[in-house]
Amino acid sequence: MTSWTRRGAAALLAAATTSLVLAACGDDSETSSENGSGDGQVSGELTVLTPIFEGAEGKALLEEELLPQFYEQYPDVTVTVDYTDYGSLNEKLTTAVASGLVPDVMMMGVGWIEAFAENGILADLGELGITVDDLSEDFTPEILAGGVWQDDLYAIPIMLDTRFGIARKDLLAEAGFDEPPSSLEELREYAIALTERDSGGQLQRAGFDMLSMDLRQMYEVFLFAHGGSLFSEDFTEPTFNSPEGVAALQYLVDLMHEDRVEDIGFSSTDIDVHPLLNDRAAMAVGHNNLWIQLQEAAPELADQLVPFTITGSEPGMFFGGTLATVSAGSDHPEAAAALVEFLTGPEAALGANEQRGNVPARTELLDSEYVQNNPLVQFAMENLEIAQREGGVPQWLEIRGDFTPAIEAALLGEKTPQQALDDLAGEAREAMAR
Amino acid sequence: MSAAMTQTTAASPVKRRFDGKRIALTCVLAFGAFTMIVPFLWMILTSVKGPGELIEFPPTFWPKEWAWSNYAEALDAAPFATYFRNSFIIATGHTIITLIFGAMAGYALARIPFRGRELVFLGFIAMLMIPTYTKIVPQFLIVKFMPLFGGNDILGQGGSGWLNTWWALLIPGGLSPFAIFLFRQFYLSLPRELEEAARIDGLGEFRIWGQVYTPLIKPALATVALLTFQDSWNNFLWPLLVTTRDDLRVIQVGLAVFRQEETTQWAYLMAGSTLATIPMVLLFLVAQRYFIQGFTNAGIK
Repeated sequence: MTSWTRRGAAALLAAATTSLVLAACGDDSETSSENGSGDGQVSGELTVLTPIFEGAEGKALLEEELLPQFYEQYPDVTVTVDYTDYGSLNEKLTTAVASGLVPDVMMMGVGWIEAFAENGILADLGELGITVDDLSEDFTPEILAGGVWQDDLYAIPIMLDTRFGIARKDLLAEAGFDEPPSSLEELREYAIALTERDSGGQLQRAGFDMLSMDLRQMYEVFLFAHGGSLFSEDFTEPTFNSPEGVAALQYLVDLMHEDRVEDIGFSSTDIDVHPLLNDRAAMAVGHNNLWIQLQEAAPELADQLVPFTITGSEPGMFFGGTLATVSAGSDHPEAAAALVEFLTGPEAALGANEQRGNVPARTELLDSEYVQNNPLVQFAMENLEIAQREGGVPQWLEIRGDFTPAIEAALLGEKTPQQALDDLAGEAREAMAR
Repeated sequence: MSAAMTQTTAASPVKRRFDGKRIALTCVLAFGAFTMIVPFLWMILTSVKGPGELIEFPPTFWPKEWAWSNYAEALDAAPFATYFRNSFIIATGHTIITLIFGAMAGYALARIPFRGRELVFLGFIAMLMIPTYTKIVPQFLIVKFMPLFGGNDILGQGGSGWLNTWWALLIPGGLSPFAIFLFRQFYLSLPRELEEAARIDGLGEFRIWGQVYTPLIKPALATVALLTFQDSWNNFLWPLLVTTRDDLRVIQVGLAVFRQEETTQWAYLMAGSTLATIPMVLLFLVAQRYFIQGFTNAGIK
């Protein structure tokens, strides 16, 4: 379902791109003159589109706690919020762009900025007085780069979703291991030792679970750990089919088929509960918000989950996340920029992250009580220097939809890792040439 | 008596064979019904399991402790009363529009000869093949640029059209080519003699449609009504796209709260889904009577 939806979304985006001229025409003519009043005060009626702050709890946080603080600072600004979910965000943005009714402030994911900035939908925040230099003390360079396109800042991160290795300390100890694996060789050795099958060969416990995580994101962790990258430094060529990328996929295929540390079908992204929580896996590539699930369902395991970086030629950690942007056609750009600064500020960002169990993008929040009480989030924040993101090219939303089927084809043995990644690179080149 | 005995003797083996078939058929149907109902039962039972029980492997079928509080907590997660009301209004509106205008269109395509009728019908068939996703952007633009609504001028410029209004929720999905296709097929199956007799009696086209033919297609009415209501009730994306206000959102949007990118709150999602299916189950129980009545009528005819 996910890949179909994403293909559809990519097609929608392409359709929307062709409608940009229409949208841009409508926006330019409507520029209002009631923005800045010259003394630092701004005014206007803002619309916000957000895939976070969802549900009654999120809405209460945003509208009853955070926005009143914003209104104290900016009494002449009013904010109307449109809530959506990430699954429908692309469609919401696409139809908004196509119709010219683009919200003043939009929140979107890492890897999305390039496409929307390239098509002129996002405002250059530098022109509104917010620059990369201003923020460089508050964010690590790679995190901040998620909001940069062609050296200009278009988005500021609010929260991060990170993926890294997570192990069960008690199960490691049972197998005689004191610490999580520190290299790919150790990861393989530990995974083999921790895999349990019954007398009939039926898998009872995966030594290393790869299937509960989105396969694209799971692969990217290993790609980064092998020293590979998704695209060339100038973002003109896909490089995930480089020797490093192929080695990363070959490593995963070998874990699955030679070492048999997990079987196809043993787990999936739709599984009710993560296998680390019910002893069905000893190690896994996991998401930081596993801690929230643990607290609800298995608090007795709180001391047993231990995060680790998947380390090959370099440590690999993946991050996605949510960033706040301003529409290029906003009637109230100063007010919108003020809201973006507020929402990405320490207090608002901390509340938003706490609600979803995510990783604050601001480095200063490492010392917050929330982060200090959440070992997975704390680990992610302590390792943000090594975290790498996906995206980088405007066609990423289209390309990423083809990623999971390619990884699946290799894991299922339908294609060799080299074939799967070469075919995928071919599709990516076609998309980038369009 | 002899004749009666012969009859009885002859009837018995037939009856035995019949009973055997019946038992086999019952077994097959029971198995089919069981496989259909298990997911539904699983949903209900999951909706009352606690978080600790949900992570157990192998999963329990029967809850160890019945966490009825899941329902209250799920209902607190979003304004479900408003969402229920909105879904009900939209689904009912779509069903009424479809039954009236879909039946009219189906009747016209089946029974009124006019130039280009086959071409129009082919157009409807072609529309069945168009994936929903490809229609979303053009449909959205039509709604946004609707003239003289939402501050738009006669050329559809300057305002928001039908966006954020009941019009956007009710009109674009109000009629489907599939419903028209179904109605046409049912109207085609009825005898021409009825129409000829009605015309001799002096009935106009509208009364022939409303008083002669349409009462004979109750199975079609019930089927189309159920499918339309269900489709509309389950609609998620369109209501989300054309509204920005919570007071216009629908039940499926509420359920999406429990399903985020990385996690799903299964107990709450199942509790919400259980509540969301109640109107559909009730509707089916009511419409089932008309199904049977309709099929009986068709048999007598």
